[in-house]
Amino acid sequence: MLPTTTYRTAAFVEAARQIGVELTVASEKASTLEAANPAGLLTLDFEQPERAADAVRVFAQQYPINGVVGVDDRTALVAAAVATKLQLKGNPVHAAVAASDKYLQRELLAKATVPIPRFVLRNLEEDPATIAKSISYPCVLKPVRLSASRGVIRVDNAQSFVTAHARLRAILADPETAAACGDRARQYLIEEFIPGYEVALEGLVVNRRLHVLAIFDKPDPLDGPFFEETIYVTPSSVPAGLQSAIKDCADRAVRALGIVDGPVHAELRYNERGPWLIELAARPIGGRCSAVLRFGDKGVSLEEIIVRHALGMPIPSLQRERLAAGVMMIPIPGAGTLQEVSGIDAAKAVPLIEDVQITAHPGERLVPFPEGSRYPGFIFARGETPAVVETALREAHSKLRFTLLPPQPPASAAAPNPP
Amino acid sequence: MAAADIRITAEPIDTQRCKFVLSVPVLAGGVRRFSTPDEAKGSPLAEAIFAIPGLAVSELIVSGNIITVVKQSPAPWQAVGRAVGDAIRSTVTADVPAVASAPRPASGDPSAVNDDALYERVAKVFDEQVNPMVARHGGRVELIDVQDAVVMLRMGGGCQGCGMADVTLRQGIEGMLAQLVPAVRGIVDITDHTSGANPYFQASKK
Repeated sequence: MLPTTTYRTAAFVEAARQIGVELTVASEKASTLEAANPAGLLTLDFEQPERAADAVRVFAQQYPINGVVGVDDRTALVAAAVATKLQLKGNPVHAAVAASDKYLQRELLAKATVPIPRFVLRNLEEDPATIAKSISYPCVLKPVRLSASRGVIRVDNAQSFVTAHARLRAILADPETAAACGDRARQYLIEEFIPGYEVALEGLVVNRRLHVLAIFDKPDPLDGPFFEETIYVTPSSVPAGLQSAIKDCADRAVRALGIVDGPVHAELRYNERGPWLIELAARPIGGRCSAVLRFGDKGVSLEEIIVRHALGMPIPSLQRERLAAGVMMIPIPGAGTLQEVSGIDAAKAVPLIEDVQITAHPGERLVPFPEGSRYPGFIFARGETPAVVETALREAHSKLRFTLLPPQPPASAAAPNPP
Repeated sequence: MAAADIRITAEPIDTQRCKFVLSVPVLAGGVRRFSTPDEAKGSPLAEAIFAIPGLAVSELIVSGNIITVVKQSPAPWQAVGRAVGDAIRSTVTADVPAVASAPRPASGDPSAVNDDALYERVAKVFDEQVNPMVARHGGRVELIDVQDAVVMLRMGGGCQGCGMADVTLRQGIEGMLAQLVPAVRGIVDITDHTSGANPYFQASKK
């Protein structure tokens, strides 16, 4: 299930080709070629998982389906509904729902005594000034169903809470965003800010057992007020004992949410009190970041492992390659319309850099966090140690220059004063 | 022209395939595909790339300012890209053409006749079926050439840089050709997708 907004289309299509799997691509918008290949292209309403699952059941009567894979939070939910309906390998719907709903997730994790920040669910309509007087600081405001840190804001006092609340309210007022949040569009979480070092864990759950595929360090501090990610590098330099505690924490979260099969991506922090589960999603790592992961002697991709697992095919290896690898999600350089990116060749020429992919196109409007979340590109590096990989990523990034046209003022502000 | 004047951008497609986009054209008005060192003879660029030690090149496609290299070596493109770049620079700046024109088929050569016939049939499918469909998303697909029954195409408009371009290619066009022109052995997309200024679908992080 490949939404039209995913970066992972090529990787999954290529993985299916590599292992000779006949593929049906389901998207939320119709391909113009759907009529020409009715077995290979399908349009589903991803906002209605049960309806989508019914449509797949009918489709499968003519074109049998042997496995289903979702690639993001939304399609993971639809994939669970399809797996349940067609009795395929996958997660139960309640687990996928819990993984994609930050409030439900925290409720279940708290019940299972998984270490998580203290949290409370609030309605946007409640008076922010009143709430601001009743909570502890620092804390973090989070939309319940957005991902990629969109709309996530740290606040340190009552005044900044009121400002952040207004900003979050505006983000959730956008019709497309509200649709993505469904019945949580008028709610948000207030969560204790956990200081510490953040890591990401990439895993594959096989019959309820979590296999850790990689732990990524996030060397840039994520202390807010916004949480734009930059560098992921693996293997982690976290001491082995702490990595084991991080894995145990993620494992407990997987079991608490009822995830039984498929990829998981978790974000955790650790400090002197141990690891803390910040988020867990029943999907693989986002963006194009999976390109840094290779497994076994043949360098099998993460997508191939996921497809093989969904189909019950043998998986050659879950052991990541020996080399260190890293990716930088290129920070959004500012608000405006992208005119040009220069320095790409120089960035690619930095030793250890494997690729620089600029995914924003000229004319595209760049929106910084917390309103935006679309990175303008990705930088990939591989080397002997995490430290040299991180250095290469930073050096390559320093070569890039983004030329932006400043954002247009709102129409009302640009209009001349009436006579 | 000096070698330093040529800008080359490497765009790995996967561990085996990489596009090298040049700031100058290498072969105007056509496509050459080489799948063995023997086929490369007479084209200095292809000879030089096939001769890179340890690269194990299995295919080389040259069209306009794009050179697509397919290798069997597990070495990452970062490690071998410079050698390919050096080979490109040294041959493109030489006095003799880097890539020779396609050899004229000997009369009665069955493969040449087949490619010509396939070209006509694929062009008809593109004109009458593929392009009217992708035009609904502002896209277009251009048939560049057919060589050894492999179709080389370039995507434009809304298809260039589109997040679903691979789906269009593999689930749509490839399937149509398999059904309508089954003699086609493969498709190579030589589009520079990073230059797409108006992709129909755009990706976001998760």
